[in-house]
Formats: sequence, C-alpha cells, structure tokens
Amino acid sequence: MDVMSSSLQQQRIVVEQLRREAAIDRQSVSVSCDKMKKYISEHEQEDYLLTGFTSQKVNPFREKSSCTAL
Amino acid sequence: MSECAASASNANANEKMASLLKEAENLKAKLEEERQKLNDVSLSTIAERLEQIAFVNIKPRKVLKGHQAKVLCTDWSPDKRHIISSSQDGRLIIWDAFTTNKEHAVTMPTTWIMACAYAPSGNYVACGGLDNKVTVYPITSDEEMAAKKRTVGTHTSYMSCCIYPNSDQQILTGSGDSTCALWDVESGQLLQSFHGHSGDVMAIDLAPNETGNTFVSGSCDRMAFIWDMRSGHVVQSFEGHQSDVNSVKFHPCGDAIATGSDDSSCRLFDMRADREVAVFAKESIIFGVNSVDFSVSGRLLFAGYNDYTVNLWDTLKSERVCLLYGHENKVSCVQVSPDGTALSTGSWDYTIRVWA
Repeated sequence: MDVMSSSLQQQRIVVEQLRREAAIDRQSVSVSCDKMKKYISEHEQEDYLLTGFTSQKVNPFREKSSCTAL
Repeated sequence: MSECAASASNANANEKMASLLKEAENLKAKLEEERQKLNDVSLSTIAERLEQIAFVNIKPRKVLKGHQAKVLCTDWSPDKRHIISSSQDGRLIIWDAFTTNKEHAVTMPTTWIMACAYAPSGNYVACGGLDNKVTVYPITSDEEMAAKKRTVGTHTSYMSCCIYPNSDQQILTGSGDSTCALWDVESGQLLQSFHGHSGDVMAIDLAPNETGNTFVSGSCDRMAFIWDMRSGHVVQSFEGHQSDVNSVKFHPCGDAIATGSDDSSCRLFDMRADREVAVFAKESIIFGVNSVDFSVSGRLLFAGYNDYTVNLWDTLKSERVCLLYGHENKVSCVQVSPDGTALSTGSWDYTIRVWA
C-alpha cells in the first residue's frame, strides 16, 4: 500500500507540474525570436568580444608593450 | 484491514493512478500541440538577413598557473579584474587577472572543489564539492580566510554548483542529490528546496532581468528546468538533449537559455515560445560540452569542450564562428567577465586562461 500511495503522490506532482506548464502564456517563435534579435542588435556596440575594442589601448588584458618607461 | 477492504482500496488506488496517468498523457499532448502551433518560423530564417559575423579578434592574453590539479570552476569578481578558481587539488585561488598574480590561496579539507562563486559585494566567496557542503569564506588575509570560514548548507551528495541569487545573504546550490536548495547565509537555514529532477543537478543560473526569483537548472536527467524561487515549483521544462546537461546559462535578454551537454551539442530554448529554437552541433564535433556562456549582447555563445577547444557559436545563425585553441586538456568552465571585455576558461590542464 505504501508503495502505491507514494507513487500516487509522485504522479500527482507530475500532473500538477504539467497543469502549470500547460497554463503558461506563449508567443510564436517569430515574435519571440524577433525580440531576441532586437535585444542583440541594441547591445552589439557594447559587446567587446564580438566587435573588438576601438583601440587595443583600452583593452585591459592586452600585453603590455615590451618597452617600459623607467 | 480485511482482505476484501484491502482489495477494494487497491482497486481504488489503481483507478486513481490510471486517471492521473491519462491526464498526464493528455497534458503532454496538449503542450506539444500548443508549442507546435506557435512554431511558425525557424530562428535561422529570422536571422537569415543578418550579416555574418565576419571576424572575431579574440586572443589568448593571460595564463594563470598555480593549481596542482584539474581546474573545476572559476568565477569573475564583480570588480571585473579578479578571478576565483577551485580545483581538484582542494585549493581555492584568487587571481588578479590583469597581472596573473595569486592574491589569496586557501586549502580546503576536501579535494574536488567543484563550484565557487563570488558574493555580489565581492567580499565573500562560496564554494564546495565532494564534501557535500557549501562553505563561505570572507576575502581577507589567507589566515583569516581559513579561520573565519562558515559552513552554510549540506546536501546528501556532492555540491556541483552554487550562486548568490540576490545579495550576500543567500546562496543557491545544486547537488548530485538531484535537488537545488536556497540557504540563508547567516543562520544556515534551508529556505527552500527544489525537487523535480530525477538525476544529478550539474548547473544553475539566475535570470538576469527579474528581481532574482527565477533560475534555471540542468541535470543528468537530460532536462533543463525553469524554477520559481518563491514557490519552489518548476515553471517550465525543456527536453531535447540526449545526454547529461552539464551547463545552463540565461541569454542576456532574459527570455532564453542555452544548454551544453555530454551529447556534444549546445541548444537554445526560448522561454516565451516555450521550445527549443536552435541546436549548435556539427558532425565533426563528437566530444561533450562542459560549460557555456554568452557574450554581453548574447550574439556569441562560448562553449568549452572535452576535446580541449572552445567553440564560438553565432547564437542567431546557429553557425560556428571560430575555435579557440590553447588548453591541453578538457575545458571545464568558461565565463565572460561582467563587463564583457574578456573570457576566462578553466581546464583539466591545471590552468586558467583569459582571452580578450
């Protein structure tokens, strides 16, 4: 009996989760992915790994020049 | 209970079970139908007219050497300059990534420190692993760090990942016991536990654009779950991977997640459309993915593989942009710095590298 009631409980949890998931609002892929595309294009200018630095001088991780002022 | 009553109640329970199974099946079918209805166009079609990413100028800049075994996890400090790393050697090292100097090193009483994370203030780090515990250290002198450590929470299996969700006061952990847990740092109290995965939880990440109440988890049950931190419930679940999900990361827009898996693919799941929208894979890539992260705009997806490489993917076009070579063993962790200027990669070759 205990095995049965615990697996019943388990299954109830599964069904409750599926009910919640079925109830959420969805958007079409075209609408949603368009928003993602827009977000990316709005932030591309601040994406240094994508667009690079305007000058290597502002790259904090660049190798220091081999000549250093003493 | 008489035999007769027992068999009646058995029959009753069987009936309930049958009806629950039926409902689950119907709900799954309905979910699939709804998702299919909204699948009007593919992401790569939407991205078709975008220009290709022509040239990415990312070079190896720094090599951080000091661990005596596999690097398992790294985390950038909020100051965008320091990196914490944890290793199989049982040590935690805080690096100055600009100079490659080691600023602090702490030896833990355990090996395999699988996770480490900076607190939002930058004044504390949380870590843990095979000891099943999440431990917090203040960042001060080495002696004081060891003396003032505090165990915040304990799982019943290894702790695979940890993050600070809102403030220095709370820590969210994922574990091999297949649960996630939210802990109060001060009291060590378990604030919420998250049950649902049927395999080891390997990775967690926090939603970027909300008030810190949504997180994602990836598991060896091949699933990624979106959780509501307050209720402890799964809000959405994503399947598609054919093996362990080792890494999960929110897209900076907050409405999609990327996953990396032992099945040698990365995937992009859109939360509003409630479905997978991209697979990042190639026939020539046959090794598992251990870690993924996005560039700050979300256009680039970085992925660390078991074949020692880091692949850069165009998130929108699902095409590989380039490869980063350098590590001499599996790449265990990749992370973009908070300001997006650099990428850190940790490896089983005992080193951490910084690319920019």
